[in-house]
Amino acid sequence: MQPFAFSTLPIDTARGREALADPACGGYATFEGWVRDHNEGRAVRRLEYEAYAALAEREGERIVAEAIARYGVQHAACVHRIGDLDLGEMAVWVGVSSRHRAEAFAACRYIIDEVKHRVPIWKKEHYVDGDSGWVNCERCAQPGDHESHAGHAATPAAGQPHDHEHGRAHVHPAPDFARQVALPEVGDAGQQRLRAGSALVIGAGGLGVPVLQYLAAAGVGRIGIVDGDLVEASNLHRQPLYGVADIGKSKATVAAARLRQLNPEATFAVHAERADARNLIDWLARYDLVVDCSDNFSTKFSVNDAAVILGKPAVFASVYQYEGQLQVYLPRADWPCLRCLWPEAPRDGLVGNCAQAGVLGPVPAALGAMQAMQALKILLGLPVESAPALHVFDLLGMHWRTLRAARNPACDHSPRELQTDAIDPAALEIAYPDLAAARASGLTLVDIREPWERATDNPAGQIEWHLPLSALLRGAAALPPEGRYLLVCAHGVRSLALAGQLRSQGYPAVYSLVGGLAAVGS
Amino acid sequence: MKKITLQYFAVLREQAGCSEEHLATAATTPAELYEEVRVRHGFTLPLSMLRVAVNEEFRDWSSPLEANDRVVFIPPVAGG
Repeated sequence: MQPFAFSTLPIDTARGREALADPACGGYATFEGWVRDHNEGRAVRRLEYEAYAALAEREGERIVAEAIARYGVQHAACVHRIGDLDLGEMAVWVGVSSRHRAEAFAACRYIIDEVKHRVPIWKKEHYVDGDSGWVNCERCAQPGDHESHAGHAATPAAGQPHDHEHGRAHVHPAPDFARQVALPEVGDAGQQRLRAGSALVIGAGGLGVPVLQYLAAAGVGRIGIVDGDLVEASNLHRQPLYGVADIGKSKATVAAARLRQLNPEATFAVHAERADARNLIDWLARYDLVVDCSDNFSTKFSVNDAAVILGKPAVFASVYQYEGQLQVYLPRADWPCLRCLWPEAPRDGLVGNCAQAGVLGPVPAALGAMQAMQALKILLGLPVESAPALHVFDLLGMHWRTLRAARNPACDHSPRELQTDAIDPAALEIAYPDLAAARASGLTLVDIREPWERATDNPAGQIEWHLPLSALLRGAAALPPEGRYLLVCAHGVRSLALAGQLRSQGYPAVYSLVGGLAAVGS
Repeated sequence: MKKITLQYFAVLREQAGCSEEHLATAATTPAELYEEVRVRHGFTLPLSMLRVAVNEEFRDWSSPLEANDRVVFIPPVAGG
């Protein structure tokens, strides 16, 4: 007798009983599910069952095997009807034989509960009033019922030895991937691929937290966590993997500890330092793919270069307030990389505004969940998307645009010298108690704020030049290269970025005022 | 003059004060169109830092614009 089978004919219980009979068994428990004449207050006339047979049989067999292992019973089987059934007919039968009655009852209960939860069977109820409706059987089961059974079997009380007397097998707590294995695209083979797979995750912040959680929870066997930051109180609203007790601790270290609870069988490598062009190559060489969850352009482009050089897939995402961008790089001749799209790597600090960028937690969470999805598809060997694209999401207006991207013929994709920050920011920044002191040092003060910013806050007398960043960037204004300059903006972010850019263009003496005008109390 | 639909993201959306607008323009390329709206909205980003997509496909700044095109200007974003 098959452990789990579908039948279009009435279930032969005598045959089932015969198949499970065993002289070593002292007990035999069965459950029969019948078609009843009402459901949720409606009078039912007859029922129709439909199943996704190939998948359902495999899941059913797995459940029966689990019950035998969990409760140590000798034999178990289940038969489910499909097709049209009249009132009173038997829809499902479960039989269990074992040495003692307790485990026979428990295993029988486990099988019927799990079958109702996990096996894809749909029930169409035909009501007396002529109406009909499909009901997913998962909804019929009592939620929590089987959970308590499973929990009881899986976690014996502390200090309690194996319960041989009751035939209950001791099972270590471990994640059960049944609900994803049930997907035809995953299956046992896919689960094996995930277990054998590995991912390097750059950044354990708003994007990285959901990426790490879902990759670990899905059973990815080896995960590298790169983040040099410490948990801050202002992180928690969008990084709920951490708690207030973690404030001040290394994100990568805390994340690894949490993820081990999700999947104790996986390996987690902690890299509690900032990713850069050099260490990325060493780290990524040991993983199947990289998920970029960083928050700055220089890291993103270093991740891109490392992926291109090593021929590894990379899953990129970025967020700005309510918006997000998602792009996958695949090491294929026809696939664009990040530099195909952005030939000039943007300099951090020059895009966006100086004010602290706000964000609501679900925005990076949504993008991070999509990154995890793309990464799982890559590890499973599933098609990632029909054609390369940059996906742009607006979660405030709820728009999703898929912008098709092609390889840029000007981007050769060939391994190139990795970009490194040539100039240490410390060599670019100077602090002054006030603007008068800055001016006394002999530097020319250049206010790079936009005109509308100056309208509300104009430190009279000290600023020599007003050259808006926007005009400088588009070449509508320029600084004579021979001068010595102190760039100032509202908070010192844009001025630092611009100082770095001008230095790399050959300006010998361009500096940025630390903290901007806010720091000198203008 | 042709009618086109323009969509803004990130810092452009903030500076334009809207995420989408319909306008009639004499611009023949995305580059001309950007210059037109840059002046009107006071956009701070230079064209060299942006990418443009027309009808859901990335395009060159000098590609021709047609009536009823849907144009999206995209700044790079890095938040994580």
